[in-house]
Amino acid sequence: MSMKKKNTLRKSLLLIGLGIIALIYIFPVFLMYMNSLKPFGEIVKDAIALPSHPEWENYSYVINKIKYGKLFFNNVVITTIGIAGIVLFSSMAAYMMDRRRNRYTRFAHLVITTPMLIPFQTIMITLLKAMNIIHLSGSKIGLGIQYWGFGIPMATFIYYNFMKTVPRELDESAKIDGASTHKTFFMVIFPLLKTVTVTVIVLDVMWIWNDFLLPLLMVNSSNETKTLVLAAYTFVGQMNTKWHYAMTAMVLAVTPSIIIFILLQKYIVEGVVAGAVKG
Amino acid sequence: MSKRKKKEMFDTLLYTLPAILLVTVMMYIPFVMSGYYSLTRWNGIAKEAVFIGLENFKTVLSSGGEFTGALVFTIRYTFFFVLFSNVIALFLAVCLTKKFKLANLMRGVFFIPYIMSMTIVGFIWKFIFTQGFARLSAMTGWGVWDLSWLGNPRLAFYAVTMVGVWQSLGFYIVLYIAGLQAVPKDVLEASTVDGANGRQTFFRITLPLLGPSITTCLFMSLTNGLKVFDIILALTKGGPGSSTYSVTLQIYKEAFQNNNYGLGSAESIVYFVIVLVLTQVVLKISSSREVAL
Repeated sequence: MSMKKKNTLRKSLLLIGLGIIALIYIFPVFLMYMNSLKPFGEIVKDAIALPSHPEWENYSYVINKIKYGKLFFNNVVITTIGIAGIVLFSSMAAYMMDRRRNRYTRFAHLVITTPMLIPFQTIMITLLKAMNIIHLSGSKIGLGIQYWGFGIPMATFIYYNFMKTVPRELDESAKIDGASTHKTFFMVIFPLLKTVTVTVIVLDVMWIWNDFLLPLLMVNSSNETKTLVLAAYTFVGQMNTKWHYAMTAMVLAVTPSIIIFILLQKYIVEGVVAGAVKG
Repeated sequence: MSKRKKKEMFDTLLYTLPAILLVTVMMYIPFVMSGYYSLTRWNGIAKEAVFIGLENFKTVLSSGGEFTGALVFTIRYTFFFVLFSNVIALFLAVCLTKKFKLANLMRGVFFIPYIMSMTIVGFIWKFIFTQGFARLSAMTGWGVWDLSWLGNPRLAFYAVTMVGVWQSLGFYIVLYIAGLQAVPKDVLEASTVDGANGRQTFFRITLPLLGPSITTCLFMSLTNGLKVFDIILALTKGGPGSSTYSVTLQIYKEAFQNNNYGLGSAESIVYFVIVLVLTQVVLKISSSREVAL
Protein backbone atom coordinates (compact mmCIF):
# COMPACT_ATOMS: atom_id res chain seq x y z
CA MET A 1 0.00 0.00 0.00
CA SER A 2 1.28 3.45 -0.83
CA MET A 3 2.13 5.91 1.93
CA LYS A 4 -0.70 8.20 0.97
CA LYS A 5 -3.30 5.45 0.95
CA LYS A 6 -2.09 4.25 4.31
CA ASN A 7 -2.46 7.73 5.74
CA THR A 8 -6.02 8.11 4.46
CA LEU A 9 -6.90 4.75 5.94
CA ARG A 10 -5.44 5.70 9.31
CA LYS A 11 -7.31 8.98 9.22
CA SER A 12 -10.67 7.34 8.51
CA LEU A 13 -10.09 4.80 11.27
CA LEU A 14 -9.31 7.66 13.65
CA LEU A 15 -12.44 9.48 12.54
CA ILE A 16 -14.62 6.42 13.08
CA GLY A 17 -13.06 5.78 16.50
CA LEU A 18 -13.58 9.38 17.55
CA GLY A 19 -17.14 9.33 16.27
CA ILE A 20 -17.96 6.29 18.40
CA ILE A 21 -16.36 7.86 21.47
CA ALA A 22 -18.29 11.11 20.90
CA LEU A 23 -21.58 9.22 20.53
CA ILE A 24 -21.05 7.27 23.76
CA TYR A 25 -19.93 10.48 25.44
CA ILE A 26 -23.09 12.41 24.63
CA PHE A 27 -25.44 9.45 25.08
CA PRO A 28 -26.38 10.36 28.71
CA VAL A 29 -27.65 13.75 27.53
CA PHE A 30 -29.59 12.11 24.73
CA LEU A 31 -31.01 9.62 27.24
CA MET A 32 -32.29 12.48 29.39
CA TYR A 33 -34.16 14.06 26.48
CA MET A 34 -35.54 10.71 25.37
CA ASN A 35 -36.88 9.72 28.76
CA SER A 36 -38.44 13.12 29.32
CA LEU A 37 -40.81 12.18 26.50
CA LYS A 38 -41.93 8.82 27.91
CA PRO A 39 -44.78 7.95 30.23
CA PHE A 40 -43.70 6.50 33.57
CA GLY A 41 -44.39 2.88 32.64
CA GLU A 42 -42.11 2.97 29.61
CA ILE A 43 -39.16 4.30 31.59
CA VAL A 44 -39.42 1.52 34.15
CA LYS A 45 -39.82 -1.10 31.45
CA ASP A 46 -36.96 0.10 29.25
CA ALA A 47 -34.91 3.20 30.02
CA ILE A 48 -32.90 2.93 26.82
CA ALA A 49 -35.54 2.39 24.15
CA LEU A 50 -37.04 5.27 22.16
CA PRO A 51 -40.46 6.49 23.35
CA SER A 52 -43.38 4.80 21.58
CA HIS A 53 -44.95 8.25 21.20
CA PRO A 54 -43.85 11.63 22.62
CA GLU A 55 -45.61 12.23 25.94
CA TRP A 56 -45.95 16.04 25.93
CA GLU A 57 -48.12 15.85 29.03
CA ASN A 58 -44.88 15.56 31.07
CA TYR A 59 -43.91 19.01 29.89
CA SER A 60 -47.23 20.74 30.51
CA TYR A 61 -47.34 19.18 33.99
CA VAL A 62 -43.79 20.19 35.00
CA ILE A 63 -43.92 23.67 33.43
CA ASN A 64 -47.04 24.46 35.48
CA LYS A 65 -45.85 22.70 38.61
CA ILE A 66 -42.49 24.43 38.93
CA LYS A 67 -43.72 27.72 37.37
CA TYR A 68 -41.06 27.56 34.69
CA GLY A 69 -41.70 31.04 33.29
CA LYS A 70 -41.19 32.62 36.70
CA LEU A 71 -37.99 30.65 37.34
CA PHE A 72 -36.60 31.56 33.95
CA PHE A 73 -37.34 35.22 34.63
CA ASN A 74 -35.60 34.97 38.05
CA ASN A 75 -32.49 33.52 36.42
CA VAL A 76 -32.43 36.28 33.81
CA VAL A 77 -32.80 38.99 36.47
CA ILE A 78 -30.09 37.57 38.75
CA THR A 79 -27.65 36.90 35.92
CA THR A 80 -28.20 40.31 34.29
CA ILE A 81 -27.71 42.24 37.53
CA GLY A 82 -24.64 40.17 38.37
CA ILE A 83 -22.98 40.61 34.97
CA ALA A 84 -23.78 44.34 34.66
CA GLY A 85 -22.11 45.15 37.99
CA ILE A 86 -19.10 42.90 37.45
CA VAL A 87 -18.38 44.37 34.00
CA LEU A 88 -18.90 47.98 35.08
CA PHE A 89 -16.98 48.01 38.37
CA SER A 90 -14.15 45.74 37.20
CA SER A 91 -13.43 47.67 34.01
CA MET A 92 -13.55 50.98 35.88
CA ALA A 93 -11.15 49.80 38.58
CA ALA A 94 -8.79 48.21 36.06
CA TYR A 95 -8.72 51.43 34.02
CA MET A 96 -7.53 53.58 36.92
CA MET A 97 -5.15 50.89 38.18
CA ASP A 98 -3.41 50.87 34.81
CA ARG A 99 -3.53 54.56 33.93
CA ARG A 100 -2.69 56.11 37.30
CA ARG A 101 0.14 54.11 38.73
CA ASN A 102 0.85 55.20 42.28
CA ARG A 103 0.96 53.76 45.76
CA TYR A 104 -2.80 53.89 46.15
CA THR A 105 -3.63 52.06 42.91
CA ARG A 106 -1.03 49.37 43.65
CA PHE A 107 -2.75 48.86 47.00
CA ALA A 108 -6.16 48.76 45.28
CA HIS A 109 -4.87 46.12 42.84
CA LEU A 110 -3.70 43.94 45.72
CA VAL A 111 -6.96 44.34 47.66
CA ILE A 112 -9.19 43.63 44.67
CA THR A 113 -7.41 40.61 43.16
CA THR A 114 -6.16 38.74 46.26
CA PRO A 115 -9.62 37.26 47.07
CA MET A 116 -9.19 34.98 44.02
CA LEU A 117 -7.30 32.79 46.50
CA ILE A 118 -10.25 32.44 48.90
CA PRO A 119 -12.49 29.46 48.07
CA PHE A 120 -16.19 30.25 48.35
CA GLN A 121 -16.75 27.43 50.85
CA THR A 122 -14.36 29.09 53.30
CA ILE A 123 -16.61 32.10 53.70
CA MET A 124 -20.08 30.71 53.00
CA ILE A 125 -21.08 30.21 56.64
CA THR A 126 -20.34 33.72 57.81
CA LEU A 127 -21.38 35.21 54.47
CA LEU A 128 -24.96 34.19 55.20
CA LYS A 129 -24.83 36.00 58.55
CA ALA A 130 -23.23 39.08 56.99
CA MET A 131 -25.80 39.18 54.18
CA ASN A 132 -28.66 38.81 56.68
CA ILE A 133 -27.36 41.87 58.51
CA ILE A 134 -27.27 44.07 55.40
CA HIS A 135 -30.50 42.57 53.97
CA LEU A 136 -29.03 41.18 50.77
CA SER A 137 -30.19 37.62 51.47
CA GLY A 138 -33.60 36.35 50.40
CA SER A 139 -33.95 38.57 47.34
CA LYS A 140 -33.12 38.26 43.67
CA ILE A 141 -31.58 41.71 43.49
CA GLY A 142 -29.57 41.03 46.64
CA LEU A 143 -28.26 37.80 45.15
CA GLY A 144 -27.33 39.57 41.90
CA ILE A 145 -25.41 42.18 43.92
CA GLN A 146 -23.57 39.49 45.85
CA TYR A 147 -22.17 38.14 42.59
CA TRP A 148 -20.45 41.51 42.10
CA GLY A 149 -18.22 40.84 45.08
CA PHE A 150 -17.37 37.31 43.97
CA GLY A 151 -16.91 38.12 40.28
CA ILE A 152 -14.91 41.34 40.54
CA PRO A 153 -11.49 39.91 41.56
CA MET A 154 -11.11 37.68 38.49
CA ALA A 155 -12.76 40.13 36.07
CA THR A 156 -10.57 43.01 37.25
CA PHE A 157 -7.52 40.81 36.82
CA ILE A 158 -8.51 40.01 33.22
CA TYR A 159 -9.38 43.65 32.38
CA TYR A 160 -6.17 44.92 33.99
CA ASN A 161 -3.97 42.64 31.88
CA PHE A 162 -5.74 43.76 28.73
CA MET A 163 -5.72 47.46 29.61
CA LYS A 164 -1.95 47.59 29.08
CA THR A 165 -2.48 46.91 25.37
CA VAL A 166 -4.85 49.88 24.94
CA PRO A 167 -2.62 52.80 23.87
CA ARG A 168 -2.42 55.74 26.28
CA GLU A 169 -2.31 58.15 23.35
CA LEU A 170 -6.06 57.64 23.05
CA ASP A 171 -6.60 59.06 26.55
CA GLU A 172 -4.36 61.99 25.78
CA SER A 173 -5.99 62.92 22.49
CA ALA A 174 -9.44 62.64 24.09
CA LYS A 175 -8.26 64.95 26.84
CA ILE A 176 -6.92 67.48 24.30
CA ASP A 177 -10.32 67.37 22.62
CA GLY A 178 -11.73 68.44 25.97
CA ALA A 179 -13.32 65.13 27.06
CA SER A 180 -13.74 64.54 30.80
CA THR A 181 -12.35 61.40 32.49
CA HIS A 182 -15.79 59.80 32.39
CA LYS A 183 -16.33 60.61 28.75
CA THR A 184 -12.87 59.28 27.90
CA PHE A 185 -13.50 56.02 29.70
CA PHE A 186 -17.06 55.31 28.65
CA MET A 187 -16.91 56.69 25.08
CA VAL A 188 -13.33 55.91 24.02
CA ILE A 189 -11.77 53.20 26.19
CA PHE A 190 -14.65 50.93 27.19
CA PRO A 191 -15.75 50.19 23.59
CA LEU A 192 -12.19 49.07 22.85
CA LEU A 193 -12.39 46.47 25.63
CA LYS A 194 -15.02 44.52 23.69
CA THR A 195 -13.06 41.27 23.36
CA VAL A 196 -12.32 41.05 27.10
CA THR A 197 -15.85 42.08 27.95
CA VAL A 198 -17.09 39.14 25.87
CA THR A 199 -14.69 36.84 27.78
CA VAL A 200 -15.90 38.12 31.14
CA ILE A 201 -19.56 37.85 30.13
CA VAL A 202 -19.16 34.28 28.82
CA LEU A 203 -17.35 33.08 31.95
CA ASP A 204 -19.67 34.80 34.38
CA VAL A 205 -22.94 33.90 32.63
CA MET A 206 -21.94 30.21 32.67
CA TRP A 207 -21.06 30.51 36.33
CA ILE A 208 -24.03 32.54 37.60
CA TRP A 209 -26.69 30.85 35.46
CA ASN A 210 -25.71 27.39 36.72
CA ASP A 211 -24.57 28.31 40.23
CA PHE A 212 -26.05 26.17 42.95
CA LEU A 213 -24.51 26.75 46.36
CA LEU A 214 -24.91 30.52 46.70
CA PRO A 215 -28.58 30.49 45.60
CA LEU A 216 -29.13 27.51 47.91
CA LEU A 217 -27.90 29.60 50.84
CA MET A 218 -29.54 32.88 49.87
CA VAL A 219 -32.83 32.40 48.03
CA ASN A 220 -34.01 28.86 48.70
CA SER A 221 -36.66 29.69 51.31
CA SER A 222 -39.24 31.17 48.93
CA ASN A 223 -40.63 29.93 45.62
CA GLU A 224 -40.73 33.54 44.45
CA THR A 225 -36.95 33.90 44.43
CA LYS A 226 -35.73 30.41 43.46
CA THR A 227 -33.41 29.91 40.51
CA LEU A 228 -33.91 27.35 37.75
CA VAL A 229 -31.26 24.90 38.98
CA LEU A 230 -32.40 25.23 42.58
CA ALA A 231 -36.02 24.53 41.69
CA ALA A 232 -34.97 21.57 39.54
CA TYR A 233 -32.92 20.23 42.46
CA THR A 234 -35.84 20.49 44.88
CA PHE A 235 -38.32 19.11 42.34
CA VAL A 236 -36.20 16.09 41.42
CA GLY A 237 -35.72 15.41 45.13
CA GLN A 238 -39.49 15.44 45.68
CA MET A 239 -40.21 13.31 42.62
CA ASN A 240 -37.89 10.62 43.98
CA THR A 241 -38.67 7.76 41.60
CA LYS A 242 -41.10 9.57 39.28
CA TRP A 243 -38.36 9.73 36.71
CA HIS A 244 -40.58 10.95 33.86
CA TYR A 245 -41.27 14.26 35.64
CA ALA A 246 -37.72 14.48 37.02
CA MET A 247 -36.22 14.07 33.54
CA THR A 248 -38.53 16.73 32.13
CA ALA A 249 -37.53 19.21 34.85
CA MET A 250 -33.86 18.48 34.17
CA VAL A 251 -34.33 19.01 30.43
CA LEU A 252 -36.10 22.31 31.11
CA ALA A 253 -33.24 23.41 33.37
CA VAL A 254 -30.37 22.72 30.93
CA THR A 255 -31.94 23.37 27.52
CA PRO A 256 -31.50 27.18 27.59
CA SER A 257 -27.73 26.72 28.11
CA ILE A 258 -27.51 24.12 25.33
CA ILE A 259 -29.39 26.34 22.84
CA ILE A 260 -27.18 29.32 23.67
CA PHE A 261 -24.10 27.13 23.30
CA ILE A 262 -25.14 25.82 19.89
CA LEU A 263 -25.82 29.37 18.67
CA LEU A 264 -22.67 30.95 20.11
CA GLN A 265 -20.23 28.02 20.24
CA LYS A 266 -17.35 30.00 18.72
CA TYR A 267 -17.58 32.90 21.18
CA ILE A 268 -18.13 30.66 24.18
CA VAL A 269 -15.16 28.41 23.48
CA GLU A 270 -12.91 31.40 22.72
CA GLY A 271 -14.08 33.18 25.86
CA VAL A 272 -13.48 30.15 28.06
CA VAL A 273 -9.97 29.62 26.65
CA ALA A 274 -9.07 33.31 26.96
CA GLY A 275 -10.39 33.43 30.53
CA ALA A 276 -8.45 30.36 31.63
CA VAL A 277 -5.21 31.49 30.03
CA LYS A 278 -5.43 35.01 31.44
CA GLY A 279 -6.94 34.08 34.78
CA MET B 1 -2.99 70.24 46.32
CA SER B 2 -3.94 71.91 43.07
CA LYS B 3 -7.53 71.74 41.88
CA ARG B 4 -6.57 69.48 38.99
CA LYS B 5 -4.71 67.09 41.27
CA LYS B 6 -7.69 66.97 43.60
CA LYS B 7 -10.02 66.14 40.73
CA GLU B 8 -7.67 63.38 39.58
CA MET B 9 -7.52 61.85 43.04
CA PHE B 10 -11.30 62.05 43.30
CA ASP B 11 -11.72 60.20 39.99
CA THR B 12 -9.24 57.52 40.98
CA LEU B 13 -11.19 56.85 44.15
CA LEU B 14 -14.53 57.01 42.33
CA TYR B 15 -13.42 54.31 39.86
CA THR B 16 -11.75 51.95 42.32
CA LEU B 17 -13.75 52.28 45.54
CA PRO B 18 -16.89 50.40 44.38
CA ALA B 19 -14.77 47.32 43.59
CA ILE B 20 -12.83 47.61 46.86
CA LEU B 21 -16.00 48.08 48.88
CA LEU B 22 -17.73 45.09 47.23
CA VAL B 23 -14.88 42.62 47.71
CA THR B 24 -14.49 43.84 51.28
CA VAL B 25 -18.14 43.25 52.13
CA MET B 26 -18.52 39.93 50.26
CA MET B 27 -15.10 38.40 50.90
CA TYR B 28 -12.84 40.03 53.47
CA ILE B 29 -15.44 40.61 56.17
CA PRO B 30 -16.88 37.06 56.00
CA PHE B 31 -13.31 35.72 55.91
CA VAL B 32 -12.35 37.58 59.09
CA MET B 33 -15.65 36.53 60.68
CA SER B 34 -14.87 32.88 59.84
CA GLY B 35 -11.52 33.31 61.56
CA TYR B 36 -13.23 34.65 64.66
CA TYR B 37 -16.08 32.11 64.80
CA SER B 38 -13.63 29.24 64.31
CA LEU B 39 -12.48 30.00 67.85
CA THR B 40 -15.97 29.82 69.32
CA ARG B 41 -18.86 27.53 70.02
CA TRP B 42 -21.90 28.99 68.23
CA ASN B 43 -25.13 27.48 66.99
CA GLY B 44 -25.94 30.28 64.57
CA ILE B 45 -29.02 31.41 66.47
CA ALA B 46 -27.71 32.46 69.90
CA LYS B 47 -26.65 36.10 70.07
CA GLU B 48 -23.34 35.41 71.75
CA ALA B 49 -20.79 32.88 70.56
CA VAL B 50 -18.76 31.28 73.37
CA PHE B 51 -15.01 31.71 72.98
CA ILE B 52 -13.27 28.33 73.31
CA GLY B 53 -9.81 28.96 71.84
CA LEU B 54 -8.37 26.29 69.58
CA GLU B 55 -10.78 23.59 70.77
CA ASN B 56 -12.53 23.38 67.36
CA PHE B 57 -9.25 22.89 65.52
CA LYS B 58 -8.37 19.99 67.83
CA THR B 59 -11.70 18.36 66.95
CA VAL B 60 -11.26 19.04 63.24
CA LEU B 61 -7.76 17.63 63.02
CA SER B 62 -8.27 14.64 65.34
CA SER B 63 -7.62 11.41 63.49
CA GLY B 64 -10.64 9.31 62.65
CA GLY B 65 -12.92 12.33 62.73
CA GLU B 66 -15.50 13.20 60.09
CA PHE B 67 -13.37 16.01 58.71
CA THR B 68 -10.25 13.90 58.21
CA GLY B 69 -12.38 11.26 56.46
CA ALA B 70 -13.76 13.91 54.11
CA LEU B 71 -10.27 15.26 53.57
CA VAL B 72 -8.91 11.85 52.57
CA PHE B 73 -11.80 11.40 50.15
CA THR B 74 -11.31 14.86 48.65
CA ILE B 75 -7.59 14.39 48.12
CA ARG B 76 -8.06 10.95 46.54
CA TYR B 77 -10.87 12.32 44.36
CA THR B 78 -8.78 15.32 43.32
CA PHE B 79 -5.79 13.13 42.47
CA PHE B 80 -7.76 10.85 40.14
CA PHE B 81 -9.81 13.76 38.78
CA VAL B 82 -6.66 15.71 37.83
CA LEU B 83 -4.98 12.63 36.40
CA PHE B 84 -7.84 11.38 34.23
CA SER B 85 -9.08 14.83 33.15
CA ASN B 86 -5.66 15.81 31.88
CA VAL B 87 -4.56 12.54 30.28
CA ILE B 88 -7.85 11.87 28.49
CA ALA B 89 -8.33 15.52 27.50
CA LEU B 90 -4.82 15.72 26.07
CA PHE B 91 -5.32 12.50 24.11
CA LEU B 92 -8.64 13.64 22.65
CA ALA B 93 -7.24 17.12 21.96
CA VAL B 94 -4.42 15.61 19.90
CA CYS B 95 -6.98 13.59 17.88
CA LEU B 96 -9.29 16.58 17.46
CA THR B 97 -6.61 18.93 16.12
CA LYS B 98 -6.24 16.69 13.07
CA LYS B 99 -7.97 18.29 10.12
CA PHE B 100 -11.27 16.68 9.24
CA LYS B 101 -14.78 17.87 8.50
CA LEU B 102 -16.54 17.01 11.73
CA ALA B 103 -13.79 18.21 14.10
CA ASN B 104 -15.70 21.31 15.17
CA LEU B 105 -18.91 19.40 15.76
CA MET B 106 -17.08 16.83 17.90
CA ARG B 107 -15.40 19.53 19.98
CA GLY B 108 -18.87 20.90 20.61
CA VAL B 109 -20.15 17.48 21.64
CA PHE B 110 -17.43 17.07 24.28
CA PHE B 111 -18.06 20.58 25.56
CA ILE B 112 -21.81 20.21 26.15
CA PRO B 113 -21.66 18.57 29.62
CA TYR B 114 -19.45 21.44 30.76
CA ILE B 115 -22.13 24.05 30.11
CA MET B 116 -24.74 22.04 32.02
CA SER B 117 -25.43 22.56 35.71
CA MET B 118 -23.42 20.08 37.77
CA THR B 119 -26.48 19.30 39.86
CA ILE B 120 -28.36 18.15 36.77
CA VAL B 121 -25.31 16.17 35.62
CA GLY B 122 -25.38 14.34 38.97
CA PHE B 123 -29.07 13.49 38.51
CA ILE B 124 -28.60 12.26 34.93
CA TRP B 125 -25.95 9.83 36.10
CA LYS B 126 -27.98 8.75 39.10
CA PHE B 127 -30.66 7.77 36.60
CA ILE B 128 -28.14 5.93 34.44
CA PHE B 129 -26.53 4.07 37.34
CA THR B 130 -29.93 2.85 38.49
CA GLN B 131 -32.43 2.60 35.58
CA GLY B 132 -29.99 2.62 32.67
CA PHE B 133 -27.62 -0.01 34.03
CA ALA B 134 -30.49 -2.28 35.05
CA ARG B 135 -31.68 -2.26 31.44
CA LEU B 136 -28.17 -2.77 30.03
CA SER B 137 -27.78 -5.75 32.32
CA ALA B 138 -30.99 -7.29 31.03
CA MET B 139 -29.90 -6.66 27.45
CA THR B 140 -26.32 -7.92 27.63
CA GLY B 141 -26.23 -10.18 30.65
CA TRP B 142 -22.87 -8.71 31.69
CA GLY B 143 -22.12 -8.55 35.42
CA VAL B 144 -20.61 -5.03 35.36
CA TRP B 145 -24.05 -3.47 35.01
CA ASP B 146 -25.34 -5.28 38.07
CA LEU B 147 -22.67 -3.97 40.41
CA SER B 148 -23.96 -1.55 43.01
CA TRP B 149 -22.23 1.53 41.58
CA LEU B 150 -23.73 3.94 44.05
CA GLY B 151 -24.26 1.55 46.95
CA ASN B 152 -20.77 0.17 47.46
CA PRO B 153 -18.26 2.63 49.00
CA ARG B 154 -15.38 1.64 46.69
CA LEU B 155 -17.46 1.67 43.52
CA ALA B 156 -19.22 4.89 44.53
CA PHE B 157 -15.81 6.56 44.63
CA TYR B 158 -15.12 5.56 41.03
CA ALA B 159 -18.64 6.49 39.97
CA VAL B 160 -18.32 9.99 41.43
CA THR B 161 -14.87 10.50 39.93
CA MET B 162 -16.01 9.28 36.53
CA VAL B 163 -18.97 11.66 36.50
CA GLY B 164 -16.74 14.53 37.59
CA VAL B 165 -14.35 13.87 34.72
CA TRP B 166 -17.23 13.43 32.26
CA GLN B 167 -18.70 16.80 33.17
CA SER B 168 -15.55 18.89 32.78
CA LEU B 169 -13.49 17.02 30.17
CA GLY B 170 -14.60 19.35 27.36
CA PHE B 171 -13.15 22.34 29.17
CA TYR B 172 -9.68 20.81 29.36
CA ILE B 173 -9.96 19.57 25.76
CA VAL B 174 -10.48 23.11 24.42
CA LEU B 175 -7.61 24.42 26.55
CA TYR B 176 -5.26 21.72 25.21
CA ILE B 177 -6.45 22.29 21.64
CA ALA B 178 -5.60 25.98 22.01
CA GLY B 179 -2.18 25.00 23.33
CA LEU B 180 -1.54 22.50 20.52
CA GLN B 181 -2.48 25.05 17.89
CA ALA B 182 0.10 27.44 19.34
CA VAL B 183 2.95 24.94 18.82
CA PRO B 184 4.87 26.32 15.81
CA LYS B 185 4.43 24.23 12.65
CA ASP B 186 8.05 24.68 11.47
CA VAL B 187 9.42 23.06 14.65
CA LEU B 188 7.21 20.02 14.08
CA GLU B 189 8.21 19.85 10.42
CA ALA B 190 11.88 20.13 11.34
CA SER B 191 11.59 17.15 13.66
CA THR B 192 9.87 15.08 10.94
CA VAL B 193 12.61 16.02 8.50
CA ASP B 194 15.18 14.90 11.07
CA GLY B 195 13.52 11.49 11.00
CA ALA B 196 11.52 11.50 14.20
CA ASN B 197 8.35 9.39 14.11
CA GLY B 198 4.95 10.59 15.36
CA ARG B 199 5.42 9.33 18.89
CA GLN B 200 8.90 10.82 19.24
CA THR B 201 7.71 14.17 17.91
CA PHE B 202 4.85 14.19 20.41
CA PHE B 203 6.84 13.29 23.51
CA ARG B 204 10.06 15.16 22.68
CA ILE B 205 8.71 18.28 20.96
CA THR B 206 4.98 18.85 21.41
CA LEU B 207 4.62 17.87 25.05
CA PRO B 208 7.47 20.04 26.38
CA LEU B 209 6.20 22.99 24.37
CA LEU B 210 2.73 22.51 25.88
CA GLY B 211 4.13 23.52 29.29
CA PRO B 212 1.98 26.62 29.84
CA SER B 213 -1.21 24.76 28.83
CA ILE B 214 -0.37 21.88 31.13
CA THR B 215 0.24 24.28 34.02
CA THR B 216 -3.10 26.01 33.39
CA CYS B 217 -5.01 22.73 33.14
CA LEU B 218 -3.33 21.22 36.19
CA PHE B 219 -4.09 24.32 38.22
CA MET B 220 -7.72 24.55 37.07
CA SER B 221 -8.43 20.85 37.55
CA LEU B 222 -6.79 20.93 40.97
CA THR B 223 -8.92 23.82 42.23
CA ASN B 224 -12.06 22.37 40.64
CA GLY B 225 -11.36 18.93 42.14
CA LEU B 226 -10.89 20.35 45.62
CA LYS B 227 -14.18 22.27 45.30
CA VAL B 228 -16.35 19.28 44.34
CA PHE B 229 -19.83 19.70 45.81
CA ASP B 230 -22.89 19.81 43.50
CA ILE B 231 -22.21 16.56 41.68
CA ILE B 232 -21.83 14.60 44.90
CA LEU B 233 -24.89 16.16 46.50
CA ALA B 234 -27.03 15.14 43.52
CA LEU B 235 -25.42 11.74 42.93
CA THR B 236 -24.75 10.15 46.32
CA LYS B 237 -25.45 12.78 48.99
CA GLY B 238 -22.08 11.76 50.45
CA GLY B 239 -23.07 8.09 50.80
CA PRO B 240 -23.06 5.19 51.10
CA GLY B 241 -22.34 5.82 54.75
CA SER B 242 -20.09 8.84 54.57
CA SER B 243 -17.71 7.36 52.01
CA THR B 244 -18.12 10.11 49.40
CA TYR B 245 -18.30 13.09 51.75
CA SER B 246 -16.11 15.86 50.34
CA VAL B 247 -14.65 18.60 52.53
CA THR B 248 -17.02 21.18 51.08
CA LEU B 249 -20.01 18.95 51.76
CA GLN B 250 -18.71 18.34 55.29
CA ILE B 251 -18.43 22.09 55.97
CA TYR B 252 -21.96 22.57 54.67
CA LYS B 253 -23.34 19.78 56.83
CA GLU B 254 -21.50 20.88 59.98
CA ALA B 255 -22.81 24.42 59.73
CA PHE B 256 -26.24 24.23 58.16
CA GLN B 257 -27.47 20.78 59.21
CA ASN B 258 -25.72 20.14 62.53
CA ASN B 259 -25.83 23.85 63.45
CA ASN B 260 -22.22 23.75 64.63
CA TYR B 261 -21.27 27.07 63.07
CA GLY B 262 -18.08 27.39 65.12
CA LEU B 263 -16.82 23.95 64.19
CA GLY B 264 -17.86 24.50 60.56
CA SER B 265 -15.90 27.75 60.48
CA ALA B 266 -12.81 25.99 61.83
CA GLU B 267 -13.19 23.35 59.10
CA SER B 268 -13.49 26.09 56.48
CA ILE B 269 -10.28 27.75 57.70
CA VAL B 270 -8.36 24.46 57.60
CA TYR B 271 -9.78 23.88 54.10
CA PHE B 272 -8.58 27.32 53.01
CA VAL B 273 -5.02 26.63 54.19
CA ILE B 274 -4.92 23.23 52.47
CA VAL B 275 -6.22 24.62 49.16
CA LEU B 276 -3.76 27.50 49.29
CA VAL B 277 -0.74 25.30 50.01
CA LEU B 278 -1.63 22.61 47.45
CA THR B 279 -2.37 25.03 44.60
CA GLN B 280 0.75 27.11 45.21
CA VAL B 281 3.00 24.02 45.40
CA VAL B 282 1.59 22.53 42.20
CA LEU B 283 1.80 25.89 40.42
CA LYS B 284 5.45 26.32 41.45
CA ILE B 285 6.50 22.81 40.44
CA SER B 286 4.60 22.84 37.17
CA SER B 287 5.74 26.26 35.98
CA SER B 288 9.37 25.62 36.96
CA ARG B 289 9.39 22.68 34.54
CA GLU B 290 8.10 24.65 31.58
CA VAL B 291 10.56 25.15 28.75
CA ALA B 292 10.82 28.26 26.64
CA LEU B 293 11.17 28.02 22.89
